[in-house]
Amino acid sequence: MKYTWKIGGEAGFGILTSGLLFSKIANRHGYYTFDYLEYPSLIRGGHNALEVVVSDEDVKALKKDIDFLVCLNEDTYKFHKHRLTSQSYVLYDPDEFTIPEGNIIKIAVPFKKILSDLKGQLVMKNTIAMGASLSILGSDLVMLNDILEKLFAKKGQEVVGFNKQFALLGYDHVKNNFSQQIRPHLEHRDSEEKVVMTGNDVFALGAIIGDCRVYSAYPMTPSSTVLTTLAAWQERTGMVVRHAEDEISVINTALGASFAGVRAAVGTSGGGFALMVESVSFAGIAEIPIVIFLAQRAGPATGMPTWTEQGDLLFAVHAGHGEFPKMVFAPGDIEEMLELTTKAFNISEIYQTPVIILSDMFLSESHKSVLRTYIDQLVANYKIDKGKIISPAKPSVPTATPAAPAIQQSLGQTPGTISPSQDTKQPPVESSTQPSRNQVPPTLTAVPPTGADLQQAAQEKYLRYKLTGDGISPRLIPGAKGHFYQVNSYEHLEDGHTTEDATARKQQVEKRNKKWDTYLAEDFEAPKVFGDMNKAEIVFVSWGSTKGPILEAQKLLALQGKRTAYLHFTHVYPMKKEQIVPLFPNGKKYVLIENNSHAQFAKLLLMETGIEIKEKLLKYDGRPFWPEEIMEHVTRNM
Amino acid sequence: MATIQDFSGYNPTWCPGCGDWGIGISIKSALVQLGLDPSSLMVVFGIGCSGNMNDFLNAYAIHSLHGRALPNAIGAKISNHKMPVVAIVGDGDCYGEGGNHFIHACRGNHDITVIVHDNGVYGLTTGQVAPTAQKGFKSKSTPSGIIEVPVNPLTLAISQGATFVAQTFAGNANHVIEMIKEGINHKGFSLVNVLQPCVTFNKINTYQYYMQHTYKLPADYQKDNLDEAMKQGLEMSKEKFPLGIVYQSHRPTFTDQLNQVGESTLLERPRFTQIETLLKEFE
Repeated sequence: MKYTWKIGGEAGFGILTSGLLFSKIANRHGYYTFDYLEYPSLIRGGHNALEVVVSDEDVKALKKDIDFLVCLNEDTYKFHKHRLTSQSYVLYDPDEFTIPEGNIIKIAVPFKKILSDLKGQLVMKNTIAMGASLSILGSDLVMLNDILEKLFAKKGQEVVGFNKQFALLGYDHVKNNFSQQIRPHLEHRDSEEKVVMTGNDVFALGAIIGDCRVYSAYPMTPSSTVLTTLAAWQERTGMVVRHAEDEISVINTALGASFAGVRAAVGTSGGGFALMVESVSFAGIAEIPIVIFLAQRAGPATGMPTWTEQGDLLFAVHAGHGEFPKMVFAPGDIEEMLELTTKAFNISEIYQTPVIILSDMFLSESHKSVLRTYIDQLVANYKIDKGKIISPAKPSVPTATPAAPAIQQSLGQTPGTISPSQDTKQPPVESSTQPSRNQVPPTLTAVPPTGADLQQAAQEKYLRYKLTGDGISPRLIPGAKGHFYQVNSYEHLEDGHTTEDATARKQQVEKRNKKWDTYLAEDFEAPKVFGDMNKAEIVFVSWGSTKGPILEAQKLLALQGKRTAYLHFTHVYPMKKEQIVPLFPNGKKYVLIENNSHAQFAKLLLMETGIEIKEKLLKYDGRPFWPEEIMEHVTRNM
Repeated sequence: MATIQDFSGYNPTWCPGCGDWGIGISIKSALVQLGLDPSSLMVVFGIGCSGNMNDFLNAYAIHSLHGRALPNAIGAKISNHKMPVVAIVGDGDCYGEGGNHFIHACRGNHDITVIVHDNGVYGLTTGQVAPTAQKGFKSKSTPSGIIEVPVNPLTLAISQGATFVAQTFAGNANHVIEMIKEGINHKGFSLVNVLQPCVTFNKINTYQYYMQHTYKLPADYQKDNLDEAMKQGLEMSKEKFPLGIVYQSHRPTFTDQLNQVGESTLLERPRFTQIETLLKEFE
């Protein structure tokens, strides 16, 4: 069972809130939902609409036919009537506008009369509509009333009661006048415990799970709710959220925080990221870890702020002047967002590089059901891995009187505890927070906590950019007594000192580049394969938020007897050619699917692997793919 | 007790006679006199002749991008507010490229000390005009003389909420040391604008020039008087440069007002693990 419920009305009158309410009620009834909102980049006067796909199984894409359309104004009907079928229900008020006789099921609800009879505010039209919707779906008002009570509890029982009666009137009106039309699609069913979250919500959650302690941002649609969510949580989580003066300050605040030892992230959309780009390069050469959340919208420049596009892939991949390693991850859905966000915080520290998480409006702002067990398991299994970090087990102070606390780092712990500085003899001990990774090169391992070797080590100068086999130089958190170093935006020697020496330059370039080799060997993940590659005639190739629509299209095509597979890339840059080429055997028909006009992933794939995909289905009107249009493309071309 | 030697890194590469030499030794002296050592503070450098001090001064340091030292310093302070944080920057760096950051760092009363090398030119790019140059200053990028009037760092900082604004002159090392010490000891955003001759590219604002155009604030000067501070600051537009603490006031710093930090720094505090409490709002 699967259907779409859609509500629309004038911007500024609570449409989006009602939509989320509907998603939550459906989830509490035991269903899975996926929603999508359409809104203009203004606060009042435009058209807002939100649709929820409700299903008894996990759902991550829209469907083209609307089954229940709730029209709080005429525009809702006009803008969406092309998606109605003879089975579609349209809830509207004939006193507000007329719908010509046609092939739909009309459910007349007297919004206007109820409002004026009870002297309700315009926003309460939503409450009537919710009551009417729950009624036509054969549900009850228990959860809606519960939510209204919580929402208005502070304003007193009178206000609660006042709001509830609008829900009841909408509900009773449908029940009394359209009892034959009621379709029992929202009855209670048993289901696992779920939450309803957007991609942005999940990035915020992932940042907290990943122990990010500084989040810096400047509001920019569609990334802004990460900022507001983390800000709302900060007193509880202890994270510091800085809404800085511009995106350049945003990223440099985060880099300063990261230098000083905490995990830091920034979030923005394309325009804001453009301002950050010089500093991405800075993070690259200075080797400062940072996670960058880039929620794409339809560009270029200001573009279409509230609409979706995958137009910044190559920009993200190439962001930053000069050559330095970075990683770009592109989650395809909410679950992958959580997985890759938490991974990104580890990867950025292990490799001391920028890691970009690419989202887009469709992923960032659509709500989806997520199983609690999924989140709980991820939290339980997640290990903070800070990579190679030098831990002065006891402070060593060869030169000066201790004035500041020494940082002590121990296995599995973040960022460490203060220990009184009393011992002036013991040197730094190197450790990786996850010894199993075995990344500490031979020269750095097995340093015992005591002994003559250590006496010697203590006298060795700490080298921030020490040449190592894997390209990763151990970090030392500022504050450790007896040491100091500089991180440098200039090319530098191993100790961080500025240099223009040809040999040193070459060594440092190669050291940084090696981090990519290490990453590809240790942490790169090949694309996920959905469907049977051996049997498939058609293989979809894509990345990011097109995942949901493609998976849905595969199901539709299977019903037509068409065998498909789908290669879904999440670790989009850099790519490990040797792992990818075998996934593209000859004799298949490959179809690239992207939400942009330049086929950016096709270019990236060609650049990284030599694989060229000729057939492309591209969409760049600011809207996500319909599973149906992917299906139709295949049907038409085969 | 750390010594000047402990703070000394590689040998400086400044031009002979450059004001940076005086500022460099003054900074080290101030740090020593404050009882700091290279492990106990964080320093962020901008890009320019001033920023090159990164290689000559030992500390936990960032040699940042041009203009971006202040947000780096703010981030470092938020991470570990118990460590002193100093930004060593140039006039073009801080008032030009990083002007927006400067304004907002003042507003936030971030507890960082910003030492600006103010010589009126871009030395490292061979002598183009800086935003602090006097109107009409001829340079390679303004051969007919600069059209704009100079930025006034003092009144700008004061009006934007800085709680410590001082000016000093690189020709008087003792005064520079004194101002830097006061600036670092001040809790809140502190600006130390150091007037500094560029002997190579600025033939106007020489040591002689500053000898003639600077004046020391009187001993009974009321540095907490905002109106008087603005008045002294505005003397700059008449090419009269006050030396001393032009303005000082007290209000809570940025990190003072964060409940997330306090006894414990952000770096030290235990990891937040009660993830389930965050999920309630999504049910």
